[in-house]
Amino acid sequence: MIVCLAVVGHENNPLYIQSFTESDDALKLHHIVHCSLDVIDERVNNPKKSSPTINEAFLGLLYPTENYKVYGYLTNTKVKFILVTTDLDIRDADVRNFFRKFHAAYVDAVSNPFHVPGKRITSRTFGERVSTIVKSFGLSSAS
Amino acid sequence: MAPAAPKSGDVIFASVDRVNAELFTLTYGAIVRQLITDLEEVEEVNKQLDQMGYNIGVRLVDEFLAKSSVSRCVDFRETADVIAKVGFKMFLGVTASVTNWDADGTTCSLILEDNPLVDFVELPDTCQGLHYCNILSGVVRGALEMVSMKTEVTWLRDMLRGDDVFELQVKLLKQVPEEYPYKDDE
Amino acid sequence: MVREVSESCVESLLAEIVLSYCSGFYANKPELAARRIEAIGFQVGHQLSERYTMDRPRFTDNLEAIKFICKDFWSELFKKQIDNLKTNHRGTFVLQDNRFRWLAHMSIDPSVQASGNIQDPSAMAENKSAQATGMHLYFPCGIIRGALSNLGIECAVSADISNLPACSFVIRIKA
Repeated sequence: MIVCLAVVGHENNPLYIQSFTESDDALKLHHIVHCSLDVIDERVNNPKKSSPTINEAFLGLLYPTENYKVYGYLTNTKVKFILVTTDLDIRDADVRNFFRKFHAAYVDAVSNPFHVPGKRITSRTFGERVSTIVKSFGLSSAS
Repeated sequence: MAPAAPKSGDVIFASVDRVNAELFTLTYGAIVRQLITDLEEVEEVNKQLDQMGYNIGVRLVDEFLAKSSVSRCVDFRETADVIAKVGFKMFLGVTASVTNWDADGTTCSLILEDNPLVDFVELPDTCQGLHYCNILSGVVRGALEMVSMKTEVTWLRDMLRGDDVFELQVKLLKQVPEEYPYKDDE
Repeated sequence: MVREVSESCVESLLAEIVLSYCSGFYANKPELAARRIEAIGFQVGHQLSERYTMDRPRFTDNLEAIKFICKDFWSELFKKQIDNLKTNHRGTFVLQDNRFRWLAHMSIDPSVQASGNIQDPSAMAENKSAQATGMHLYFPCGIIRGALSNLGIECAVSADISNLPACSFVIRIKA
């Protein structure tokens, strides 16, 4: 289950953060998101030269904690997506697939003429689209 | 020479130079946003968009008549139909339908279920009085004026305000008869 | 399927932007009109680069981003690529389109140039049609600047049409 999603701008400004859990571990999730930003910076600034996917948007698993797995994604426009999940045996392909759909939703949201770049995304349509994608996460394991 | 038969909107749209609709959609959105910044009052923005549309309608009507081979319509009913089926299609790639005729045939509604102007658009709460697509009403008014029909065009339904379709009411105020004093071959 | 509209729609909008800002609100303030038109372009470029880079790996340097503007980005907008790219290797790039579509349908005074800062607005105001042509270039300049800005490249963009029907866009990256 996805418990938290975050979009963070290129100056580490929060653009969107949403928890999908009933329990009140919001603070903990925010902390995880915050820590993952450093991991992303570290990973992007010191890429493994051998990796064939050196500049790919999908950054893979950022770090595992006892209860969560944290994945990252970095767009060409230096926007970070962070996904926190409680599924511990998750497939990379599913996460990639998720981020691709999430990225498309994000791009449409910032194409709204009234969206101000760098400001929080308040779009209702975006929220609805994201919750649909979150619900379908891992279900379409065909790929 | 017999006039060429009018072409369908689909045929014409397939034959004109086309561009990626995103460019059009985003450009229009950026214009609206900039106008809101510069004019401040939403009512002024509505007026300006209508004026821009009017200018465009006046200019596009020649291209429309030339490419569609539509002979000038005399009848308002027929004209409304051509605008909906051919005009909208050949420029925006979408077709409108015509409904809600009044008894004396001078008022009708153009219904749009799909409209490339509003892809990605969500109105902020501060812009509730904005007729985001007001450029379209201006285009219709301008084009009709060039074929001697003076009209009043009003938005009745707007998908950005939660309606299920866009509904543009077109009311014929005055039809100026066209003057053709001499025929060319006389 | 990619959604399309008639090219006349886009050309009509561009003509109306110039008309509204130059003859309307800012008739006697061409430098203000220019800034507004550029701002409209900037927003469009910013949004388009977000859309058009969606399925691409991240660019490693400025040259790669500029090449993206010349190829994919230009192709999306004009169905052709930039014809010639030159650079002084110190942050200035010149992108030449041998037949720039947005000027193709206009009659043009070749003595006009547009740039981020108009040198002599009063001289331009003397010639309304020349001014209008120059004004048409602020929109594409804004698009390029907006697109690059969103890719993390802050720059100034100006246009040169001394060689019509070619149009050159000069990008100066801020150090």
